[in-house]
Amino acid sequence: MKTFEEKWTAWLDGELRGDELAEFEASLPDKAAAEAEKRDAHKLGAFLKEQLQDRAMGNEDFFHHQLRGRIAADARAANAPSASDGAGAKPALWPLGRLVWVGATSLAIFLVCTFFVLREKSPTDQSQYLTHILNARVDPELGPNATISMFESKEDKVTVLWTEGLQSLPSEYATK
Amino acid sequence: MHTEATPAQADVSELDLVKQCQAGDPEAFDQLVGRYRTRVFGMIYNMVHNEQDAWDLAQDSFLKAWKSIGRFRGQSSFYTWMYRIVTNVTIDWLRKKHVKGSGAEFDDAIQLTDIDPASRTVPKADALPHQRMEQREIRARIDEAIAQLSPEHRAVILMKETEDMQYHEIAEALGCSIGTVMSRLFYARKKLQNLLRDVYENV
Repeated sequence: MKTFEEKWTAWLDGELRGDELAEFEASLPDKAAAEAEKRDAHKLGAFLKEQLQDRAMGNEDFFHHQLRGRIAADARAANAPSASDGAGAKPALWPLGRLVWVGATSLAIFLVCTFFVLREKSPTDQSQYLTHILNARVDPELGPNATISMFESKEDKVTVLWTEGLQSLPSEYATK
Repeated sequence: MHTEATPAQADVSELDLVKQCQAGDPEAFDQLVGRYRTRVFGMIYNMVHNEQDAWDLAQDSFLKAWKSIGRFRGQSSFYTWMYRIVTNVTIDWLRKKHVKGSGAEFDDAIQLTDIDPASRTVPKADALPHQRMEQREIRARIDEAIAQLSPEHRAVILMKETEDMQYHEIAEALGCSIGTVMSRLFYARKKLQNLLRDVYENV
């Protein structure tokens, strides 16, 4: 189904025929005005055709020369990569074997690093070094029921010392 | 459609030349360029209204044609195929310049005609000075009017009115439907009639 614009254009250019032409012309409210418009459009077409004749190109030889130069340069650029291939340049993509080897090595390094990081970060309930010192300072004869426990949270930077049965903390403890 | 082929060139058919080009023969392409360069240049010039830009765009169009001629299957004439490249290159360029039919080129067009008294738009070398001036003024009015069309409308009206191309050829060159071509022609003609009526009525 053509729009009015399409039918009008086809009518101006003499491309409407048969029933379509008769139907379109019958639908025109003012046939005389439409015919005048058609003549005007033809005038415009003839005017444009006359005025916009092929504009001669100056320096035609140079145009060809320049174009040939660009084509040759383009060909050289296209051939450049294949020439380097012949000279044993590195392939653009890694072979499958190398990709697998690099992948496996990367995975192993990642696992080792992860192990050490997690081990470093695993929370210790108690500092063994301090516990050893504190236990050594509890005299079972003076304080048979004495116990000292220490809880340490490294993430929170908090240390809780839990003492029972002691009269005082060893004085050196604070300096350790 | 006319061509610029010399009798010797005309002996070689366009299809043969295309086949030679597809085999990588730049000489054959040179012949094709010789046949169509003026029409290509003229078409681009009528769209951009600047000789240097038209030259560069014609170069780009032919270079693009050379690069992609391997994909030409002969389903249309070489020229219709070439025209598709030309219009794509030119319309892209116009869009990049943000020329959207707002008359932005008006000043350029006037300047061009003012500073180019030896312009080849003057059709006859023996025209009198006042005739040449009148001709330049007419050309400036046309350029000004065409500059107010969108790139797509410019392409359609120029292909139809100056190249005598058929609707289907224009549609193929622009990559749109025949209905779109007819619709664009309708609006382009209306606009140019309004803008140029006083000129073509008095010529």
